[in-house]
Amino acid sequence: MLQEESDLSLIIAQIVQKLKGSNLYAQLERQAWDSLQRPEIKLESLKEDIKEFFKISGWEKKLQNAVYSELSVFPLPSHPAAPPEHLKEPLVYMRKAQGSWEKRILKSLNSMCTELSIPLARKRPVGEQKELLNKWNEMGTDEPDLSLFRPVYAPKDFLEVLINLRNPNYESGDSLSFRTHLGLIQVPLKVKDIPELKEFFVELSLTTGQLGIDDSTQVPPELFENEHVRIGQKVLAEQDSAAAQQYIRQGSPTALRAELWALILNISSQPEDILYYEQLKTNVIQHDLLVDSLIYKDVKLTASNDDYYFVFEDYLYQVLLCFSRDTSVLSHFAYNSASPPKSYIRGKLGLEEYAVFYPPNGVIPFHGFSMYVAPLCFLYHEPSKLYQIFREMYVRFFFRLHSISSHPSGIVSLCLLFETLLQTYLPQLFYHLREIGAQPLRISFKWMVRAFSGYLATDQLLLLWDRILGYNSLEILAVLAAAVFAFRAVNLMEVTSLAAAEAVLADLSTLKVMPLLQIFLFATVT
Amino acid sequence: MSRVSVPCHVKGTVALQVGDVRTSQGRPGVLVIDVTFPSVAPFELQEIMFKNYYTAFLTIRVRQHTSTHTPAKWVTCLRDYCLMPDPHSEEGAQEYVSLFKHQSPSMTFPKWLSHPVPCEQPVPLLEGLPDPSRVSSEVQQMWALTEMIRASHTSTRIGRFDVDGCYDLNLLSYT
Repeated sequence: MLQEESDLSLIIAQIVQKLKGSNLYAQLERQAWDSLQRPEIKLESLKEDIKEFFKISGWEKKLQNAVYSELSVFPLPSHPAAPPEHLKEPLVYMRKAQGSWEKRILKSLNSMCTELSIPLARKRPVGEQKELLNKWNEMGTDEPDLSLFRPVYAPKDFLEVLINLRNPNYESGDSLSFRTHLGLIQVPLKVKDIPELKEFFVELSLTTGQLGIDDSTQVPPELFENEHVRIGQKVLAEQDSAAAQQYIRQGSPTALRAELWALILNISSQPEDILYYEQLKTNVIQHDLLVDSLIYKDVKLTASNDDYYFVFEDYLYQVLLCFSRDTSVLSHFAYNSASPPKSYIRGKLGLEEYAVFYPPNGVIPFHGFSMYVAPLCFLYHEPSKLYQIFREMYVRFFFRLHSISSHPSGIVSLCLLFETLLQTYLPQLFYHLREIGAQPLRISFKWMVRAFSGYLATDQLLLLWDRILGYNSLEILAVLAAAVFAFRAVNLMEVTSLAAAEAVLADLSTLKVMPLLQIFLFATVT
Repeated sequence: MSRVSVPCHVKGTVALQVGDVRTSQGRPGVLVIDVTFPSVAPFELQEIMFKNYYTAFLTIRVRQHTSTHTPAKWVTCLRDYCLMPDPHSEEGAQEYVSLFKHQSPSMTFPKWLSHPVPCEQPVPLLEGLPDPSRVSSEVQQMWALTEMIRASHTSTRIGRFDVDGCYDLNLLSYT
């Protein structure tokens, strides 16, 4: 058996293994049994007839979408000898750095617990449970005293850790030499250059219609928009995830976006999903977590202060509090370089049968975390659907923005991609900013960590996130960051301090992302 | 097809340098690792498995005894096999690698042919799909591997995060 075929067999075996435990498998089995009563199913050609039935009834398409989803999310099986941590992150020094960073976070959380004398988790008394249940749809009206709580970390703390990442096998020395990187990131990860980006983002080129450019009021809709909407409706009618992902690279019409994203993420609201969400809600009612206060504080500090998102404050609590209790999120740690924090039931320290993860989903929110959810509130109004979409977006994309890994969509690669693009294509600007003590990454880091949420106007943000889904990659965030610097280059060349540079780039709310991306990738003279 | 690992002795790396003078500057880019097999009985080598650590290209040479009359000779069975597509970046730097006998032109050990193999890039997946029924029969053989994958997942109780209804926690633990 050739190596390629054995690789493919292994992937197929792995996907079959994963899908066997899923709801879809049970449904397909049921459908197959039920189909035996149909006249067109004959005993002598049973297998072929059932397969044909699945094709016609749309079940084959559902299976295809599920397989496609698995392929998009889970990494390819690695070498049989590779241990699980290798799948999380292949480079040992990155794993170590992530471990140290996690330890710092745990220490910070523990000291907050001890200082405030608040337990990490406790069961709510019945009276409190009733009260919370009554207030469930208006938790935003609560004004708990959160002054003593502080976010566990902010993006700038994380940036310092990334700046100090070093590959022990890479001789660069501390003094500036031709081998040190000019930017802040000093690890030699492979990032795409503009020719490679042009190929990767080929659907964004000047000759291809885009929503965000070719649907502006000056352009007659017959030229592109009408046809694009028609194709979108067809894609939705076909219910094909792969086609939807390809389609959305040119942007999604506003009316179709919610359904398209759900199709690409393979989310369909089954009764089981709604029940699952209700179960999570019950968990929130029953147990109070310290992490809840962190979530409250984050929402109050960020989304509630934002002109676009403050109306969704209650939704954010309903999603994030449930998210913290969702143990199904733990499975993404198989391919996330991070690991869930561990704790022991009070009084049972060290006894493995009393070991638990904290929070139940293993994710400790940081300052700005709620901004990952806020834009989704424009698309989904039913809490369990909103929840499912956010959860899938998190385990596919957002987790990479706050963990240390060598993945091409990981935040370290995005930072290096941003710096490299800027140095290569705007060397004067890069040099000037360095000279005045305004390393560009210090300004753009917060944009990328939040996937630009809260910095762009919402319609522009959604057009950007269309492309994240379409290309199944976060690299577009780094390209946009570089494009923004390119756009404001003239003003930036005139500033003489970091504060002034930040002022030039403080307000991105008027930017149109698609023209910026298109010009930077396809129309900049190099 | 039962496979066993062959006991071998891996010696320390030796840098190839010109002349006798060891210089601290300018570290050489070529290192040699000697691997010897203490067992005397001949065996059919199927696979060489190792974990890479920043080696870009690999050459394997084998010294074999064909018969008692002719002296032992060195033959190259793999030359400049590419492990890192871009040696200045991290791709492939710490990957687990398996080299199979079919990647060298001969079929059995000790009869390795002496012409070198051209530089091979890491093998990409096939563009088209193989015959489904053939694949499904081969899935049976792969079952041992999937069992291993399944065993390596952390087992979590679906939905429940507490222990017997209790989730009273004081502090996080550092492992």
